[in-house]
Amino acid sequence: MANQKLAMVIDAPTCLDCKGCLAACKVANNVPDGKWRNWIKGADPERRASSPVVFQPGNCMQCDKPTCVEACPTGATYKNQADGTVVINRTLCIGCGQCLAACPYGARFKNTDLGVADKCDFCAERRKFGLEPACVSTCPTKSRKFGDLNDANSEVAKLLKANRAVRVANEQTRTDPNIYYLGEPGPTNWTVQARMPEAFDFWRRLADPVVKAVVGLSGLGVLAMLGKQLAMPKDAPPADGGAHEEAGHE
Amino acid sequence: MTSSLDQKISRRGFFKLTGAATAAAALGGSDSALKPGAAQAGTRLKPGFESKYTVCDMCFNKCSAIARVVDGKVQKLDPNPKFLKSRGMLCAKGNAGVRQQYDPDRLKYPLLRVGARGEGKWKRLGWDEALDLAAEKMKAIGEKYTRCGFMFMAGADMQSTFIHRFAKAYGSYNTLSHESQCLIAGTRAFLDTFGEVPIPDMLYAKYCLMMGANRFEALVTPDSIDMMTAMKQGMKLVVMDPRYTKTAAKAHEYYPIKPHSDMAVMLAIAHVLIKEGLYDREFVAEKTYGLEQLAKHVEPYTPEWAATESEVPAEVIVKIARELGAAKPAAMIYPGRRSSNYRDSTQVRRAFAIVNALLGNWDRPGGLTAARMVGLGGGVPLEEPFYENNPADRVDAGRATLMFPEEGSFKLARDAVLEANPYPVKGFFCYHSNPMQTVANRAKTARMFDQMEFVMVMDVAMSDTAWMADLVLPSQYYLERLDPCSAQQGSSACACVVMRDPVVKPMFEAKPVFWVMRQLANRLELGEHFNFSVEEFRNAQLKDLPGALEALQKDGVYYNPSKLYGVYEGRIYKTKSQKIELFNQRYADMGLDPMPVYRKPAQPEADQFRLVVGRNAVVTQSSSTSNSLLMEFQPTNHLWINPAAAKGLGIEDGDWVKVASPAGKQWIQAKVTDMTRPDTVYMETGFGVLSPQLAAHGRGACIAQVLVDDFDQISGNMAMHETFVTVSKEAA
Repeated sequence: MANQKLAMVIDAPTCLDCKGCLAACKVANNVPDGKWRNWIKGADPERRASSPVVFQPGNCMQCDKPTCVEACPTGATYKNQADGTVVINRTLCIGCGQCLAACPYGARFKNTDLGVADKCDFCAERRKFGLEPACVSTCPTKSRKFGDLNDANSEVAKLLKANRAVRVANEQTRTDPNIYYLGEPGPTNWTVQARMPEAFDFWRRLADPVVKAVVGLSGLGVLAMLGKQLAMPKDAPPADGGAHEEAGHE
Repeated sequence: MTSSLDQKISRRGFFKLTGAATAAAALGGSDSALKPGAAQAGTRLKPGFESKYTVCDMCFNKCSAIARVVDGKVQKLDPNPKFLKSRGMLCAKGNAGVRQQYDPDRLKYPLLRVGARGEGKWKRLGWDEALDLAAEKMKAIGEKYTRCGFMFMAGADMQSTFIHRFAKAYGSYNTLSHESQCLIAGTRAFLDTFGEVPIPDMLYAKYCLMMGANRFEALVTPDSIDMMTAMKQGMKLVVMDPRYTKTAAKAHEYYPIKPHSDMAVMLAIAHVLIKEGLYDREFVAEKTYGLEQLAKHVEPYTPEWAATESEVPAEVIVKIARELGAAKPAAMIYPGRRSSNYRDSTQVRRAFAIVNALLGNWDRPGGLTAARMVGLGGGVPLEEPFYENNPADRVDAGRATLMFPEEGSFKLARDAVLEANPYPVKGFFCYHSNPMQTVANRAKTARMFDQMEFVMVMDVAMSDTAWMADLVLPSQYYLERLDPCSAQQGSSACACVVMRDPVVKPMFEAKPVFWVMRQLANRLELGEHFNFSVEEFRNAQLKDLPGALEALQKDGVYYNPSKLYGVYEGRIYKTKSQKIELFNQRYADMGLDPMPVYRKPAQPEADQFRLVVGRNAVVTQSSSTSNSLLMEFQPTNHLWINPAAAKGLGIEDGDWVKVASPAGKQWIQAKVTDMTRPDTVYMETGFGVLSPQLAAHGRGACIAQVLVDDFDQISGNMAMHETFVTVSKEAA
């Protein structure tokens, strides 16, 4: 079977900012209190005289050039070649938090219940049982559409073929995201420049090959070793890099 | 960790520290049993999980949902894609139902008050003891004060029918519902115009003027969803609201109308439609009564005049009237739902109804369509016993001109009880409703309870009303219950039947209210009226709907669609003239204004504000504000106050302020925002909770404490926007 390219195509102007997708995700994925795997940008708008306000639903963009994967010292975060999602292997994740700062969308958080990085995985568990991602299925206005862009007959592929779409990206950090916005996308100035780990090159040169190789063999001992050395950084300050829209799929 | 969570922990800690032994005992129980999936954080579903249909109970909409159940515990609620009325959605509140099911603050067993009323000292009772006591009190009160001396209140619940049944069997006319806090003025107005309450055909509307409704936040199925679909198909949405709601934010045009001037704008629109001949001449001539009188009536109500009343510019009113006229008949004034606003709310909504009639949108695509009953039966028939010594009528009868006898008016019934006029009422049973939180003038409600000899409350948690009771009974949560079928009124497109089977086993000693009513009936020698099971009742309801039970089991919903438009062809309207009444003859006969007359409303003094109330998509009044998931979205309420007004009072964003009215005062944090008018302050419902056994305790302010209890003079609906408050930066 051909590889999938799972994506979301979101019709932001139809979002009511009702928080249904946030609630559904939180329950479906046992997301801890105070943390969220998805969001609605531009919520609670200040008053504007005219023209409808656009709320922008989103979540991890499952990027094709994911900076989080680059930043991960253990290989716990990787691009799943089978379906295109960016995945966190919880066994390998040491909770170092470098991927959090490396994401231009702030899509990741530390799951305090589990001590690992966490983020949207397009509801991998639900998909396994043939269910749509929780946010997609619950959405009142069906603003969020989900499917495989490699399947020309999928709703998302058809929508992208028939409509102009944009992706939200950070100017300094291009990651080739897999969330597309139909029409007016709403706020685009909220992304941040990815902050790659300070000792990134050092670790990459030294630890990365070793870790990846050893992890493949024995795993846990190495995690313990690394866990001692790498501390969770503080919340990343917002970078000054502005965001822009880029043209979507042809 | 969020501040909301910190506060919640400290609240629990409070009980431990203060050793409030009896209250803590009521809270007791193993928390680990209340956390499904906690052992496997991050995963919820397992191979072989079950999917069971249920009907959401987080608000009145009753959306069909699918519960995903693992090892006897609900892990997730998903929408039922076959449920057309919700358009296959489940909102944030619906998703949060899982948290309510496993809320550690659920009531676990019957509790008897042992301290002063509202003091919170309780003693655990067994069910038999509790029911014996309740039956004894009901018997004694019935004998001493007549059976009407016991009052019953039931919220919008699929088992509420059994409370009404019990009240009839027991012999009390005094039943109350939530409706007199909500929609009866609007219901009255449309009934008295069209002879029935219409269903907006929002999906096919081309133009919608929305006033007195916030449909993108106060979700109503299918209107809220269809409104967005219609907008995507090109419908123009114009919103007038004193507050910049999310509905306003999503509208094409928004006007911050002065509160209580909706009627002025509506009459001016009628003025333009008639003067410029933009109304549907053929429809109006054929189907309506009173155009001539109306034309004369609205003559003085010019757009220029309405502009001075409403602060909506005259040219805007003219433009909207012309746009409505051009888009008709697929153009509507949204009828709305909650109309518990003003002393003349029935007349305000009559003005909405009249403009709709002028647009000729009745019974046509994109307009107002006839409601359709799906044909669900009434269940097991009741042979109502007759009690000779009962008074002639309800206790609140005659206190408003045209009340609905089956709904009554909580406000007027409370007045009657407090005055013991025309007769004393000394017993009260409340199920699934929370008047201590929702009804204006909480002090009066507390006084009403004080003068009762027996108050019994059944709910899933220790609501503020339960907190005031003598006997508190733990109700099963909806996911545990076998409920009768419920017909969902709608247009033909989505009139349907839903039903509820248990999804999980009941927790603790919680029982369904049907069982309680049956037990009490048996103890009061009324057992013959409850000589059936819920299944038998349900079968009786479905007897004229062949195939319905199978459809419900297979799809979670049953439909039998029929013609949607043109159903009034050859039919008469259920009004005196048998036509749509622009001029209401019955009103004229009764000395009421036959057409809405605008009387300049009182306005707040310079140091006052009009208080308006409402909610958003994560709040269903007080029943949802202690939900641990929904609290993450909204841990408290704020007082919205305009920057200009705040500046004058030295109030900054986040400051604690005192909000005071003749009814009472509350302290609340200010949200300084231009999303409300300088003359209007706003707060959400459901906070300022009295009961320390709710997570929302100690958060925000309670509307019921500060709202003055005025009422719509025709329907008896509560009038919640007639309160003027002062706001001051003053420590508690």
